[in-house]
Amino acid sequence: MSHSTQASFAPGTTVPGLLGCGLRLPDATCVSYSFSEMCPRKRLEDILEQLAETMTLLAGHGLAPRRLTWTFAQGQIFLISRADGALLALATQPSTEAAENVDQLAGEFFSLTPAN
Amino acid sequence: MKAPTKQYQILFVDDDPDFLAMIQDFFATLGEQIWQIHCVTSADQALEFLKVRKIDLVVTDVNMPMLDGIQFLHILGRSHPDLKKAVITANATEEKRSACLAEGAELFIEKPRSPEGLKSIFVMLEELISWTPQEGFQGMLRRVGLPDVIQMECLGRNSSILEIHNLQLRGRVYIEDGRIIHAQAGEKEGEAAFYQLLALPSGEFQLQPFESPPKCTIEGQWEFLLMEAARMRDEMAAEASATGTTAEPAAVVESPVATPEAWSQVEETLICSGQGEPLYVWECPDRKARVALLQTVAQQAETLSQLIPLGNFDRLEILLATGRAVAQARADRMVFVRVSSGGEKSTARSS
Repeated sequence: MSHSTQASFAPGTTVPGLLGCGLRLPDATCVSYSFSEMCPRKRLEDILEQLAETMTLLAGHGLAPRRLTWTFAQGQIFLISRADGALLALATQPSTEAAENVDQLAGEFFSLTPAN
Repeated sequence: MKAPTKQYQILFVDDDPDFLAMIQDFFATLGEQIWQIHCVTSADQALEFLKVRKIDLVVTDVNMPMLDGIQFLHILGRSHPDLKKAVITANATEEKRSACLAEGAELFIEKPRSPEGLKSIFVMLEELISWTPQEGFQGMLRRVGLPDVIQMECLGRNSSILEIHNLQLRGRVYIEDGRIIHAQAGEKEGEAAFYQLLALPSGEFQLQPFESPPKCTIEGQWEFLLMEAARMRDEMAAEASATGTTAEPAAVVESPVATPEAWSQVEETLICSGQGEPLYVWECPDRKARVALLQTVAQQAETLSQLIPLGNFDRLEILLATGRAVAQARADRMVFVRVSSGGEKSTARSS
């Protein structure tokens, strides 16, 4: 991750409303950060795995997503895909700074240099 | 010939026989032949009585042995949801008042200490008993989503007028046979009015019987209109939150979000029951595949909500290179709508 992205996601400097985030690289390795007890790292990684399968499933239906937004009553899970196959998952609470700045967080993610 | 006057059946429930005797004498006189008063001294007697007699209004005490008035109201709310209910108590605390109203009592009155007080209560009860609900229903947008009400009317192919208002704006949405045909909000008409009404953060609405509008200004499909309204509302929220933020992120260039003007064409729509039985299909390339997709979305939403407790699943939005799709999967129905951006066609249709 770039320094700026790390700064955005690193514990202690979290964006209000961001419950957790995870990055799944094309080689299937995961990096995750939890900012809430309701969203532990292991579960974030499970979510990333599941959503990676969803991306494949949707592609099989002729729908190649750039972003998935799962909206629940008390929060949202965003999954953003990068051209190299890396995936970024963000779990946010509704109507919070994190939920309303997903584009910015995604932008940092898109601006990262793909892994070699 | 004079039409026969309706006689109202009123049941009083109180463990104080003296109070019941007073009520019987006084209200029978005031109510002349119109009120037929029945009295019982406990909630369980009242429940037995309700099994054999049709009652228009139940007036109960709160402090009663065994089953108190609040519990009694709760049971009535389930067993007789349409029954009008009032409370008369000697111990009228704010806590009890709130509890009784929450359990469906329409009136909460302190026991009177004078004949004048009894007369006031008679007037209040008479007002309550003779009040007839208007056709339609009303609610608060904060609790019931306006899009949900519109969706319900359209899916049911109903005809109605949705009157919407808050302090700033008043308007109407006309739905005929499940199609949105006209909207008016302030001086605006058509889709602009519809979107403005749907963007209200809160307010009140009433569903009224249908009357033909002065003109028809909307022709689009209701699914698209609702999606567009949701998109515009999201944009407004994003714009509001963006106010005061610093420079635009580099992501804007690479962001998959298309320009707002670009969303223009519904590519396909599928509405099916919770079991996957298609109810409405339009331009859907492979309905079986789409139903399977919706079922998978429902399963995955269930798994996600087990991993993170975020409450009930509402929808999955899929942002594509050439548009977007929304999948909703609920117990009673599932919806899939795909919209393409202007001038471009999604590849999904030919796949």
